[in-house]
Amino acid sequence: MTATSPSDAPAPEQAPQPTPVGHSHDGRGSPVPTAGMIATRIMELRKRRGLMIALIVMNIGLPALFLFIRLLGHAFWPRTSPPAGGNQIFGVLAAGFLPTFGFLAAATAGCTAGSRDLTEGMFRHLVVTGRSRLALYLARIPAGLAIVVPMVAIGYTIVCAVCAFAAPTVITDNGVNVPPGLSRAGFANWGGNHAELVVCNFPSNGPVPGNVDCPSGPGWWSVSTATPGQAAPAPLEALAAKIASQDYPGYVGILRSPPTSVMIEAGLWIELEATVAFILGLGLASLMGQRTGSVILLFVFQIILTPILSGVGIAHLQSLQRSFVGLAVARLEPSGLPMAIGGMPGVTGGVGGPGDARLPESATEAVCVIIAWLAAWTTLGAWRMMTRDA
Amino acid sequence: MITTAVEGAPGRLADEYRWAVETHGLTKRFGAKTAVNGVELLVPRGSAFGYLGPNGAGKTTLIRVLLGLTRADAGTMSLLGYPVPRHRDAALARVGAIVDEPRFHRHLTGRQNLRLLAAAREPAARDRIGPALERVGLAQRGDDRVSGYSMGMRQRLGVAACLLGDPEMLILDEPMNGLDPAGMAQMRDIILSMVAEGRTVVLSSHLLDEVERTCDAVAIVDRGSIIAQGPISELLAGAQLALQVECSEPGRARALLAGTTLGARVEAVPSALGLGITLPAGAGRDVIAEINRVLVEGGISVYRLQPVQTSLESWFLQVTTRLEDPE
Repeated sequence: MTATSPSDAPAPEQAPQPTPVGHSHDGRGSPVPTAGMIATRIMELRKRRGLMIALIVMNIGLPALFLFIRLLGHAFWPRTSPPAGGNQIFGVLAAGFLPTFGFLAAATAGCTAGSRDLTEGMFRHLVVTGRSRLALYLARIPAGLAIVVPMVAIGYTIVCAVCAFAAPTVITDNGVNVPPGLSRAGFANWGGNHAELVVCNFPSNGPVPGNVDCPSGPGWWSVSTATPGQAAPAPLEALAAKIASQDYPGYVGILRSPPTSVMIEAGLWIELEATVAFILGLGLASLMGQRTGSVILLFVFQIILTPILSGVGIAHLQSLQRSFVGLAVARLEPSGLPMAIGGMPGVTGGVGGPGDARLPESATEAVCVIIAWLAAWTTLGAWRMMTRDA
Repeated sequence: MITTAVEGAPGRLADEYRWAVETHGLTKRFGAKTAVNGVELLVPRGSAFGYLGPNGAGKTTLIRVLLGLTRADAGTMSLLGYPVPRHRDAALARVGAIVDEPRFHRHLTGRQNLRLLAAAREPAARDRIGPALERVGLAQRGDDRVSGYSMGMRQRLGVAACLLGDPEMLILDEPMNGLDPAGMAQMRDIILSMVAEGRTVVLSSHLLDEVERTCDAVAIVDRGSIIAQGPISELLAGAQLALQVECSEPGRARALLAGTTLGARVEAVPSALGLGITLPAGAGRDVIAEINRVLVEGGISVYRLQPVQTSLESWFLQVTTRLEDPE
């Protein structure tokens, strides 16, 4: 090989001319990620077997298994096992199970997306492409959400389907099984036909007639099938019809299966919870540069810190509590669901009901808090990625 | 600093884009330690350039600074005529690089890793994945997971990643590390073929023999500073020469040489066959003839006079030894 001296270098006119300041030929200095970057980032996450198994198990597997067992139980032992679905089961899953496990799964995905390029040595290769580091960071958000959001949606759709199609054929009002969908007159008529059940179990302002022998203890009728009882004296029938008519608003409020509007609202709320978790995880893991520590922090945040903060009632801390993203998300919980966070122990009733002990906070304030958290963690994660030595 | 034709190249100021890499006063510190110390580096376009130095000399740090993987504390630099970091994106669009040991997502295949990197480059990069794998000899294993790759295969995958951008310049940090002899030969062929295509290849290494076989020009770095740079042939031309003399009575021959004017210019030491003589840098054939004349006239039988070609390795040792010697 012959030695090359500077005089052998290509003539200046052969050399590419520098691009004007701030311009490159393919826009790789732009902070906006390309569709190709997002698509390959989705592929990178999708190929992580452990992560995908965790996401599927937590979002789909566990609720599906729970409902499957209930379906089997009701199919084989219908007298002792209630139907798998219904509004009550929907409330348990949509307000408790799905948001909690959805948060944990999405946080894990976010922490993985935010740290693995760095720990696996790929970050350096990506930076050397000349692509904007901000674009590299931002590409992870739609990519991660493209995996997390459908996963949550699949799990939630299964829950909705079972709760709607495998709902009980009767509803339980004050411990008494009642046919659903009756009009006020129909409900009063049903009450007249089940006078003793209604008089003994339904709330009534007046005294119980002396000739009615109500068993002691609440809810003893609840396991009985609603069949017409023995013919009651006319005054007792009239009283029962009146009590039933008075109870009609409460009866109407009892749902056999979750209404469509509640299912849609709850679905969006659970997706919001998962989205928040993913973006927090992404930002935190990018900031810390590692996955395990950030996952642990977010688990502690969601499982320990948020419930504790929602339970304390120190006046001076209320503003701080309101600025907590977990409580802000809880504030947006749809009104048709039982309390996920902030319910008073031992007090029944869902969002907005007597057991609602959440801090007073408007929906607008809650939305602002959530947006601020997402923006802050995205900024922190992106800043660290842009300034980190690769 | 030893500098040959590079520094004195005519028209340097008028033609600033003839350099693939140009740095002035480049400095990078890590706390109290200066890893890159006022580096003035000029890499000609279209050449294979070796950046040599012992372990810990600051080779990788300089490359990381050039590529924007870490920030410089002082100095200016340009890649292919583009000032960086100001035009980093435009410069790196034309550069492919491996820094340190090439690591990839182990759960993905080689091809999928390249897809990830191609997506961050221009759209045409995706079409280069297949040819790049073919070129580095990984076409058959491209769909295997990287977790099953050997070190040599990952090095080759790193080179394939460099080729995605059809680069004008490749910066390869210790590309021979961890390779077996066959792998080193293959890597050498790949590098030489790149240079033959007109690309600039900057090669950082401490394997001097490999660099001498591959590169046209080198820079020697020690403790963060460049102590010499230029075409290898010109650098070696300025090195001390060795002369192996096979003769009778080596002891008397040594004394004879010491008693002449040559004594002040050459250093003779007894060797297994006779005398080993070190000639001053730039010594010509006249000096060899003079030595022969002195010995023959002194009654010494001279059987053979053999100049020993100075290798890059021996020159490197001369230079670095001189640095360590306070005198």
